[in-house]
Amino acid sequence: MTAVIRLEGRRRGVLRRSWDYLASFDGLAKTAMWTLAVLFTAALLGRLFGLGGSPTAIVGPRLAAPSLAYPAGTDSLGRSLLPRLLEGVMTTLLLSAVAVLLTAVIATLCGIIAGYRGGRTGGVIMRVGDILYAFPAIVLAILVAAVVGPGYIAALCSIVLVTVPLMTRMVGQATRLVAQRDFITSAVISGVSTPVIMTRHVLRNISGTIAVQGTYALSVAILVEGGLSFLGYGVQLPGSSLGLLVQEGTLYMVKAPWLILLPGIILVIAILAINLIGDSLRDRFEPREARSLE
Amino acid sequence: MSAILDIQDVTVEYSTGGTIVRALDGASLAVRAGETVGLVGESGSGKSTLGSLVGRLLPGNASYPEGRVLVDGHDVLQLGVKELRTLRREQLGFIPQDPISALDPTMRIGRQLELALRGLPNDRAALVGHLERVRMREPERVLRLFPHEISGGMAQRIVIAMTMARSPRILIADEPTAALDSNVRSEVTKLVFGLARDAGTTVLWLSHDLRSVGRWCERVAVMYAGRVVEDGPAEQVLGSPTHPYTVALAAADPAGVQPGERIETSSVDVATLAESFRDDERAAKRRAKTRKTDAESADDPEPAPEEEVVAR
Amino acid sequence: MSETILELDRVTTVFRTGWGRGRSELVAMREVSLDVRAGETLGLVGESGSGKSTTASVALGLREPTSGTVRFLGEPIGGPKQRRARRGLIQTVPQNPHWSLDPRMPVGLSVAEPLAALDGSRLTAHAERVAELLRQVRLDPALAARFPHELSGGQRQRIAIARALVTNPRFIVFDEAVSALDVSVQAQILNLIIDLQAQHGFGALFISHDLAAVRYLAHRIAVMRLGEIVELADTARFYETPEHEYSRQLLEAL
Repeated sequence: MTAVIRLEGRRRGVLRRSWDYLASFDGLAKTAMWTLAVLFTAALLGRLFGLGGSPTAIVGPRLAAPSLAYPAGTDSLGRSLLPRLLEGVMTTLLLSAVAVLLTAVIATLCGIIAGYRGGRTGGVIMRVGDILYAFPAIVLAILVAAVVGPGYIAALCSIVLVTVPLMTRMVGQATRLVAQRDFITSAVISGVSTPVIMTRHVLRNISGTIAVQGTYALSVAILVEGGLSFLGYGVQLPGSSLGLLVQEGTLYMVKAPWLILLPGIILVIAILAINLIGDSLRDRFEPREARSLE
Repeated sequence: MSAILDIQDVTVEYSTGGTIVRALDGASLAVRAGETVGLVGESGSGKSTLGSLVGRLLPGNASYPEGRVLVDGHDVLQLGVKELRTLRREQLGFIPQDPISALDPTMRIGRQLELALRGLPNDRAALVGHLERVRMREPERVLRLFPHEISGGMAQRIVIAMTMARSPRILIADEPTAALDSNVRSEVTKLVFGLARDAGTTVLWLSHDLRSVGRWCERVAVMYAGRVVEDGPAEQVLGSPTHPYTVALAAADPAGVQPGERIETSSVDVATLAESFRDDERAAKRRAKTRKTDAESADDPEPAPEEEVVAR
Repeated sequence: MSETILELDRVTTVFRTGWGRGRSELVAMREVSLDVRAGETLGLVGESGSGKSTTASVALGLREPTSGTVRFLGEPIGGPKQRRARRGLIQTVPQNPHWSLDPRMPVGLSVAEPLAALDGSRLTAHAERVAELLRQVRLDPALAARFPHELSGGQRQRIAIARALVTNPRFIVFDEAVSALDVSVQAQILNLIIDLQAQHGFGALFISHDLAAVRYLAHRIAVMRLGEIVELADTARFYETPEHEYSRQLLEAL
């Protein structure tokens, strides 16, 4: 009578499903995703094919306004700004993404343990998080840079230290909610081991929170990287990052405003786009329907 | 005869995520002044929608393509915002299911009562008087408490005091005792009907429990799939129900079963019908909607409107 | 007389909260004694705060009592460490149909989970047994591939019952398992529990604040109030001559 009953649910191609998933977002979030994709592709192409020339070569007059030869103008040393911008975007995005991935792993681990175990272990994890959270982000970042020495690693560590506490806290709260659910109790009574419960039930049910918080952490990361490089503790010359470019630009704000405007605008756009995606994800995972009474 | 509340063939639809769900499908109910009417229905029958509709208190995604709701001759669905507010304030009273969430958690009980009584005498003595009217012990002390410091039963009494202070013409009570323990339940019910009788208030009592409604209300109306399917004096509806749904509902109640007897669920086809019905609706929604699987995992204390609703 | 499955012997459970001067104690269970035999349902009635939920978690071995002993099949039930030894023998059907199943898993996998925990196999390895169980709770086996939000409350609770039965347990706790359901659906689930018990012979503790449902289903009824059992009697006797004043009140409220 009944043929084979498939327990896995409906399976479709991974690509098809991810595309459907992306297509299900609202217009604003889609625009934001396209913007990020364009930024990233441009940066990638720039790095791969040397779009706009070498980022370090001195090619023309100093502080030349944007023109056909130098689409984004030149900087104080006569280097073309466009390749430097592309390199900066790449550095900033990659650095932030790697840092946020690290954050996600650490925060998910700590958060699940703290939220599920509760008790003393959970308390200690949460308090350490609180203490870190109480430090102003930039002070924390400078502290790290002072210890590790300025550079990529310092930027990476600072971003992780700044974003981990909040995310741990959110993951911990989400876990605590899930852990109270009846299906967890049923699993415990059935003798399912704790690690299996954590991965099979808890992790799946908090994946939304992780995605949302990860996205917000990414925008914070870009901001922290910018601030750190701006202060000179992050990416060092001759490298390039959006924060570093903004810092350079401030020196010639009046004479060559494009030097600060272009990286600044890109920074703002990137953060805005990421926050929009985060909002959209949050609406999807944590709908708080506002009920209006006309 | 003059009906103080006259609901004529009302249709209410909710639009959620591109689909339209019909919550009321030509529901009609006329209530005379001073009557006590029990409106019985299970989840999805549309009774809460009907109750809220009397004060036009539906969420923003609701629309009313057909029908009229007359309160004392005024068509509620056509009133302007100002008239509507006056009507709500002076004619209608609502008692919600969850009394604690009806109170402002940041305000002492006394202050909330004071605000609720604006325009009426609201000095200390009057407040105490209102609390004594709902048989509150130690009213002076209660006035100084915050909502989280009182029990569900006390909170419900306070909400009742606030609502009945204005002697509304029509009182709509949406399962006001469902969240209370059974010993408090009968006290609170007695209180509401007593106060309503004294004030000459018409009562529309929403409940899923056919039996308890029969005990308190003169008249019982049974709702199913967005319509009033049976309506009549309580003894008649309970004693000799005519609609198959009412029959099934009465038979399914374990309290009416003698020891050793078995509930005949084979006759409760309606329940299975209702389930498959909701099932179809879910399937339809799934097809229409882009998958919204993830919204389900979120912590949603209030059921979304679509959960409450049955469509055609 | 049939075998005693679960026995609570003068069990007291005290909750302590706060410290220093703010420290307070709450006695959730006071000298509670009861037993559940094979093939029998013991109904436990009480209002919120009467201690019946605490009794449930003690009976499930989730909480160790402050004093007194809990015996399962004649052996002390012990702490969480012994839980692995008796896994599959005790199950529960929880209260809220909305949270009784993992919203992220096809319900068939939820039903398979206790089996997989028994022998460490994969969740997907038990499709046949899952289909059999779904038929037993009178659901179409094809529903196994659905997610909880695609089912009605009654269907979800049937799935939860299927999951509880899948390991052939000796003892099942129904913790307000029908309270959130509509009356018409509730009647079907109650009948289903009665039929399944006749078929499988498990002992059951049926906890509810609704005396009508308990009376319909249970062989014996225990009335709990403020942490104490005030009356424990056969259902028939309880109908006729409830002894405690509080039991009479409950009956009259019906």
